[in-house]
Amino acid sequence: MEQLEFEEFYRSGQAVCLRAVLASVGDRETAEDLVAEAFTRAWMSWSTVSRHPAPYGWIVRTALNVRTSWWRRRRREVVTDGAYEVVDSASGDDVLDPVLLTALRRLPRRQQEVIVFRVFLDLDTRATAKVLGIAEGTVAVHLARALAALRQHLLTQRVLEVES
Amino acid sequence: MSDSDTVDVIDALNGSLGEVSMHATADEIVAAGRTRRRRRRLASLATGVAGVSALALAITYGHPSAAPDTSAGGGAVAGVHIHEAAYSVDSQSDGTVLVRWDKSQYVTNRAGLEAALHQAGFRVTTRIGEFCTGPGDDPSLNAAGIGPGVDKVMKGEPAGDGNQVTFVFTPSAMPAGKQLFIGYLSADQLAVTHGRPGSVERLVSATGPLTCTTTAPPAAGPADGSGTTDEGAPAKGARK
Repeated sequence: MEQLEFEEFYRSGQAVCLRAVLASVGDRETAEDLVAEAFTRAWMSWSTVSRHPAPYGWIVRTALNVRTSWWRRRRREVVTDGAYEVVDSASGDDVLDPVLLTALRRLPRRQQEVIVFRVFLDLDTRATAKVLGIAEGTVAVHLARALAALRQHLLTQRVLEVES
Repeated sequence: MSDSDTVDVIDALNGSLGEVSMHATADEIVAAGRTRRRRRRLASLATGVAGVSALALAITYGHPSAAPDTSAGGGAVAGVHIHEAAYSVDSQSDGTVLVRWDKSQYVTNRAGLEAALHQAGFRVTTRIGEFCTGPGDDPSLNAAGIGPGVDKVMKGEPAGDGNQVTFVFTPSAMPAGKQLFIGYLSADQLAVTHGRPGSVERLVSATGPLTCTTTAPPAAGPADGSGTTDEGAPAKGARK
């Protein structure tokens, strides 16, 4: 019964979680790995996650946290190897609009996270605040600033496109 | 920024990502989780077993001062039968402890021998390269490096091919508040014994602080070969 419940949870939410994580990390393969890891952890703690007020928010939050851990580990390994760190770049994956995603990834981390949870995951302000551990008012402020910055970026791009 | 601007940006964001779907199936996720759970359980089990083993070792080979005092009338001692390459320790029905050790190896597991003897109910402290006495202890040694009263608690004789020695320890003969001190000569000190293991035995305080010196007792050695320059000659002429 528990497994059936989880499987339904996965089937219903894997795509939206993948989109949200993909928007944040920009690389399809990495995003899939992170989401799979997050769902695996969710299954291992299903009794807790199933009662979470925003379980898909839990998945995306976990995936992004895992990414941070991987990145830190990778950075240590890179430093140990004496090589330069390779910065993630837009993947060129045809499911991504590179212009907008580049703009998104230039936002401050917190603004980027608010966009991911509020827009791509479609969580409301309260759930986003809970998942991110910040006040609802702070979510609203970050969202407004992020959207303004993105709109400005879009306008600039359109102007450049017209001029060219 | 107007509401319509906001909607435009959100639409643009949503439109920036095509439809995506995970390649991994729900079954694969569940299977991965199960495998990981199993590993965790095994790891927890291993940790638990290690903890229990460590506890068992601590009980078996605990520091002598922390072990229960069962010697010299301290109570009945369960039979101890420990056989190692370097030594063996066997409780006997008359309350004594039969100990055999290999003169070429016993120093390599001094702590183990000490712990085994203590487990068998015999109070003993061993050191390498240090020779100790407690407050009020008689520091004198005979020519064989044996102190007064040692012969009451420790009797030995050569065994096997001559490289082994057998001792009978008598816990009940140990004076109250005393323990046997065995000081093995270090490698440098062994130079004076021509490379052969040697030791000093004396009865010392079991509770008071021990004062130790790294100066080996002078090599006393009459022509009969007894003394610390030999493997030692515990009471009754047995070499140690």
